[in-house]
Amino acid sequence: MNLWTHLRYSFRRRRLARDLAEEMRLHREMLEEQFASEGTPPAEARFAAQRRFGSAMAAVDQSRDQWSFAWFDSLLRDLQFAWRLLIRQPMFTVAATLTVAFGVGANTAIVSVLETALLNPLGLRHADNVMVARVRIEKLQMRHAQTSGVEFREIQSMTDVFSAAAAMEGRAWTLQSGGEATRLVGQAVTPDFFRVFGEYPAVGRFFTPEDDNSVVLSDSLWRTQFGADPSVVGRVMMPDDRPYHIVGVAPAAFRFPAQAQAWTPLRLDPKRLLDSQRGNNMNLGLFARLHDGVAPAQAVDRVGRHVAAINSTRGRSSKLDYDIELDPFGRYIAGDLRRPLLLLWSAALLVLFTGCANVAGLLLARTASRRKEIAIRISVGATHSQIVRQLLLESLLLGALGGAAGIAVAKFAISLLKHLVIPGGSMLEFVSLNERLVAYGFGLALLSGLLFGLAPAVQLLRQSQSSDLVRSRRKWFQDIFVTAEVAGAFVLIVMTFLLLRSLWAVERIQPGFDPHHVTTAYFIKPKNDPGFLDRLQTALHANPALQSASLVNPVPFGGGGFTSGFIIKNRERRPGEPLRHGEMYQVSPDYFSTLRIPLLRGRTLAESDTASSPLVCVIDSRLADRFFPGQDPIGQEIGMYKGSARIVGVVAAIRGTTLEEGSRPTVYYSLAQVPFFQSAAIAVRSTAPAASAIREVVRRTNAAVPVYDVKTLERRMGESLGIRRVLAALLTTFGAISLLLAILGLYGVIAQVVSERTPEIGIRMALGARPSQILSQFMRQGLRSGFLGLGLGFLAVIYAKRWISGMLYQVQASDPATLSLASVGILSMLLIAVWWPARRASRIDPQHALRHD
Amino acid sequence: MPTNTNPELLPGTLEMLILKTLTRGPNHGYGIAQHITRVSQDALRIGEGSLYPALQRLLMNSWVAAEWGISETNRKARFYKITPAGRKQLAQEVRDFDFQLAAIARVMQGA
Repeated sequence: MNLWTHLRYSFRRRRLARDLAEEMRLHREMLEEQFASEGTPPAEARFAAQRRFGSAMAAVDQSRDQWSFAWFDSLLRDLQFAWRLLIRQPMFTVAATLTVAFGVGANTAIVSVLETALLNPLGLRHADNVMVARVRIEKLQMRHAQTSGVEFREIQSMTDVFSAAAAMEGRAWTLQSGGEATRLVGQAVTPDFFRVFGEYPAVGRFFTPEDDNSVVLSDSLWRTQFGADPSVVGRVMMPDDRPYHIVGVAPAAFRFPAQAQAWTPLRLDPKRLLDSQRGNNMNLGLFARLHDGVAPAQAVDRVGRHVAAINSTRGRSSKLDYDIELDPFGRYIAGDLRRPLLLLWSAALLVLFTGCANVAGLLLARTASRRKEIAIRISVGATHSQIVRQLLLESLLLGALGGAAGIAVAKFAISLLKHLVIPGGSMLEFVSLNERLVAYGFGLALLSGLLFGLAPAVQLLRQSQSSDLVRSRRKWFQDIFVTAEVAGAFVLIVMTFLLLRSLWAVERIQPGFDPHHVTTAYFIKPKNDPGFLDRLQTALHANPALQSASLVNPVPFGGGGFTSGFIIKNRERRPGEPLRHGEMYQVSPDYFSTLRIPLLRGRTLAESDTASSPLVCVIDSRLADRFFPGQDPIGQEIGMYKGSARIVGVVAAIRGTTLEEGSRPTVYYSLAQVPFFQSAAIAVRSTAPAASAIREVVRRTNAAVPVYDVKTLERRMGESLGIRRVLAALLTTFGAISLLLAILGLYGVIAQVVSERTPEIGIRMALGARPSQILSQFMRQGLRSGFLGLGLGFLAVIYAKRWISGMLYQVQASDPATLSLASVGILSMLLIAVWWPARRASRIDPQHALRHD
Repeated sequence: MPTNTNPELLPGTLEMLILKTLTRGPNHGYGIAQHITRVSQDALRIGEGSLYPALQRLLMNSWVAAEWGISETNRKARFYKITPAGRKQLAQEVRDFDFQLAAIARVMQGA
């Protein structure tokens, strides 16, 4: 019989009993009738019927036993009892609930981010089976590079592991609508692109191999530009003033890449697919969908064998360590967030664990004080297993309460998380509390309940009647809990210190320019307006709100850059000289003054360096020091993007991508002399907010030019620090809470021991023990577990060293100053926690204590 | 669940008899007891104290279904009906019973 039937019967048994009684009464009446018809007198017939019928009550009882779960009934009773107990001790209940709630809430919130970042990036519904292929060439320090057409052809041909493959290439267009120029970003994609992601069009269709000059709209573009008109298919859109036929609209949930507003067909030139093109034009994003039932590892293996075959046939590339990396889509999206998120998750688990240890300690103490009640229950017939079940139920109920509160905490925490400023933070928009996460949080809470309920239950099971033995065992348990708590708190505090020190170190770094009050904004250069840049600069200079204005491409800390090898004219490469590799910026002459980058030698770029004058450049001190040590680089010629350029000046080096990374050799060209990039940015210095002024100036100079990505330089730098700031803030919170829990735990244990032993202390005092003896005895007892915890924490930090060192800056994971500061700090707090109750013990008045019981 | 039947019957036999009776059509408790007594020519008398627990067991296993109705003598009565699962169970029990009976017979003849 299944459980469900059993439960159903169990709940309906009152009605069932009524039915059965009625049925049996009717049966008896029929029997009476039968006897009567056989000639028995009525009174005797009734008696006979009753006799024949047997004991009706017994039958009802027997049936009732079948309907009900005996244990289910007593379960309900136990639950009621547990509930009453919790209500009777509101302080304890609230404390335990809050402890669990915080741990569960923090965990659930972090796992929700993890889920979005690693498992369900960007809210894509069918991306679990999507793999991303990227190129790695270790010798060139090239990792996670996009691919050329060759890799696309190869991945596409591996039909044994992949069911579909697609390539995409970034596109940006200018769209004129209603007198307003907007920048439209999107991707050119091969026909199977949407199939790889398992998507179906919301309207119309996706691409066929025959498509050209057609476009699929994103949901947001469809809504903003076309008012969500379902008959949009067949209409023509004019990005970059070229006609594109709208063939379909992607579903609202499909946002990949996150900013993509439209997709157009990518027709790869067959020449790009030739073997000889490996390593050329590496600007394709490459995605493939695994066949159902094919594990990612199988595909990685398949691609690995393929790469080995290529490398063995092409001797030259094997020297380069050419490799194709294959990663699950989730890992590709999460990128650098993965490690910090996992660190936070373990920290949150540690907090939950310390919380559990604390609640377990409280429960142990309470069980001890309930010894009388339990003894009475056992003497009136309760079995040990019934008592254990009762205790476990109480803690599970606590866990459930904590879980419910924890879900609420998680909901609140997630709404806070959405305001974080971190790179890739746009994905946080998709973080939400789904039913899986609620189940995770609640499961974690129940598990915690079980965990901290186990201690008193086990203790009870082992209760071998001698109460002294029980007491020593309980202490043994509690010592373990306190030790674990101290160890956990130590690890978290050390991590927090290390991360804070790294953050301070990074924030103290000077980038080499003055980012305050500088606002930057990208624009797309108009193709049919040759004088635009000059007019724009004139207009910017004429605006009184802007103290200084200039043009630059790319913007420092803008998340992109141009990196290239270069040559130095008439100079052989010296042995041991680093690779001639550097960054390139195109700037207007005022750029160095706007950003306050000091000129060290020679001159900066000038208005006179135009398209018709000889090509010149300014280099930074890094390049000068590295490639022209002890020489004057002025007058030398280097070639990077366009012929040979004469070096006219040297400026101070800046850090342009992240603060942590040292500056790279950099070449500055005049924007007028190297004009072949589609976009450039305006950089202005202004004490007042400058965003609207910039937009206004550009609009009045040429209304067809779109302005985008408007941000202050400080904000751009803040984003690159975001992860560090968030990590430090969250770990500080976690560390403080776990330390507080450890202190409370230790305090609780000692206080309880003191109160239990008050009569004994009284006797000892009466017999002449000095207060200082009593004090030091309890101090020693308390500090023993504290020291043990610190020792364990040390080991844990050393073990985790390798793991966290990647997130540190200019500080070692085993930094002695940090370790000793954390130990001294924690020890002094523990001292106070122990000293408080120990002092109370030493002040016990023997007279009073002996009357205590 | 312990099978609880008339001590004069082999364990589990009462349920089989009830199910067999119900294959003739829905019937109420009184009718089932009457039928078994009549067909066995008074050899098997079903104590009502064991009939009803047995019926409850059958109900909980969904081998029979019950509903209130009016008996042939115009009385209110609860009618039991065998379910498809009950028929399957009956077939199984008959097989088991035959097997058991044959075994007992062999033992008795051998002795």
